[in-house]
Amino acid sequence: MNKKTLKVLNRVGFWILICFIFIYMLFPFYWAINSSLKSESQLQMTPATFVPRDPETMSIAPTLKNYIAVIKDGQFTRGLWNSTVVAVSTTVLALLVGSFAAFALGKLRFRGKRASLYIILAMTMFPQVTILSGLYAVINKLGIGAKLSMILSYMIFTLPFTTWVLTSFFKDLPVEIMESAQVDGATPFQTFRKILLPLTAPALVTTGLLSFIAAWNEYLFALTFTSIDPASRTVPVAISLFTGSVSRQEPFGEIMAAAVLVTVPIVVLVLIFQKRIIAGLTAGAVKG
Amino acid sequence: MSKKKKSLTLAQKEQRLAYKLLLPTLLILVIIAIYPLGQVFYTSLTDKTFASGDEGHNFVGFDNYKKLLSITIKELPPVLDEDGNQKIDPETNEPIYERPIRILPRKPVRYRELSQFGFFDKRYVIGATDPDFISAIGNTIVFTVVSVALETILGLIIALVVNSNFRGRGVMRTVMLVPWAVITVVSARMWEWMLQPNRIGFFNTLLERFGIGDGQLAFLTTKELQLPSIIAVDVWKTTPFMALLLLAGLQLIPDTLYEAADIDGASKVRQFFTITLPLLKPTIAVALVFRTLDALRVFDVFQVLLSNRRYSMASYNYFQLIGNRNMGLASAIGVIIFILIAIFAVSYIRLLGVDADE
Repeated sequence: MNKKTLKVLNRVGFWILICFIFIYMLFPFYWAINSSLKSESQLQMTPATFVPRDPETMSIAPTLKNYIAVIKDGQFTRGLWNSTVVAVSTTVLALLVGSFAAFALGKLRFRGKRASLYIILAMTMFPQVTILSGLYAVINKLGIGAKLSMILSYMIFTLPFTTWVLTSFFKDLPVEIMESAQVDGATPFQTFRKILLPLTAPALVTTGLLSFIAAWNEYLFALTFTSIDPASRTVPVAISLFTGSVSRQEPFGEIMAAAVLVTVPIVVLVLIFQKRIIAGLTAGAVKG
Repeated sequence: MSKKKKSLTLAQKEQRLAYKLLLPTLLILVIIAIYPLGQVFYTSLTDKTFASGDEGHNFVGFDNYKKLLSITIKELPPVLDEDGNQKIDPETNEPIYERPIRILPRKPVRYRELSQFGFFDKRYVIGATDPDFISAIGNTIVFTVVSVALETILGLIIALVVNSNFRGRGVMRTVMLVPWAVITVVSARMWEWMLQPNRIGFFNTLLERFGIGDGQLAFLTTKELQLPSIIAVDVWKTTPFMALLLLAGLQLIPDTLYEAADIDGASKVRQFFTITLPLLKPTIAVALVFRTLDALRVFDVFQVLLSNRRYSMASYNYFQLIGNRNMGLASAIGVIIFILIAIFAVSYIRLLGVDADE
């Protein structure tokens, strides 16, 4: 074998690898789309078909029945609404509170800075299951509803993350900006609100998006806190407990339609902001 | 006086502002993490029931922990026939031993069979007072080790591929984000459908076409296939995250190193082991710590795919709390998970020499 064929073989191997990764990453999602477009009888066909086919004629015959059923079905749309409320509120609260803390940690001098930084960082490694029963007791004592409980309890993973990423961002802002504002007579808080916060807008978008996705994804707390309040179920809980409108067995067609419906917006969001998300993820992870 | 106040303040003012700004964060963390944690430690020593009308409970000391963690090993005596030889099962040709239920202690607490093993011609049974919890620990650890290892290797391969120069690199980097963007519960449901126990499921269709299995593999109910299936679901969902972290690490390695190595005539494989891997070590270490701690807390996939058939530590905790309303026991499980994860975190950080920078 001469050098040239070796090189060609190398090239071919590389592209096979790429194709393999491509299929591996996308196939399960493709299969969900494919199944969501099948009717009940098409779903029961053996062997399973790679596109929705008519059981009699084997011609391609997709249907939107599952999507219509899911959208008409109360629990899914309600779940979407609950998830949106909870995830948006969580994000806003985490950004608000987190940016205060991050400003203090990144730009101000005070005693106990290192300790507070480490306490907050330790929270990212904190096993959330541990406090499940204790948190439930606290929430009961506070007497707040399921949605508010979720918003508050989601702080346990969003707040340390936003604080940490924003801290490193504040730290990187040049000191001169603050100094010149102070010379002009601005108080430190004014400097923060009027000058530094607008400068951190890109970081706020990134961390906000990541908090949003984390809150959108959360399942353990959501399942626990909505166990006695089914009307507050978020999307992950609704999908995990999906029983469909009328079906004796699990309505997988509708479940797949619901899966596609919740995944597409997030995927679009992720694709639009992909560069920023990668930067935020790595900053949060590698530094935190 | 006002002058004095003003002169001492710039530093002090800053300090006071800092405390004010930190207050909300610390307050929230106290309410949702530190206070509940204390509560959990206390409750774990009681027999409190969950969401029952009366708030009464007794202090039971370490009984919950004893109940969760007690293990015993007993030898199973062989069943002998009249001549004093061991009986042999006529159907399977296996020697017969005494049934574990007759050997395991029943007082003061009942031990149930966890598993059996043979050693030097003798047969032993491992009994536990709560075999479900012991196996939940085992499941979680196996899950963690295997899936993190696979994710690291696959993630590294993918990171290396998308880091090299080829047409369509941008597309690949985008495609990579798709599984990460799918909600974990949704990905579990998608895989559940693909793992259906007959040929309406994708895997059974595929495997049968290749002549493996009879198209009737029950991935989620067969004991031996449960963990591998769960691991496959998690690996698909989480490998992209690993790949992203490693990709970030790869991009920190200066190109000049590779150019120099090229001039020296080092092969690509050699370059990988002498340049890439050593320089990537810190990134790999951080990613490993993250993923391991995450995997030890695994809940979603176990709860959705196996619910009460097989537990992870977290899903067993949830089951005891919501299903059995046993708040005391659930709290003790929480504490055990906490301690386990803390041990993992500290030893990992020591071992790998990862140090949080500041």
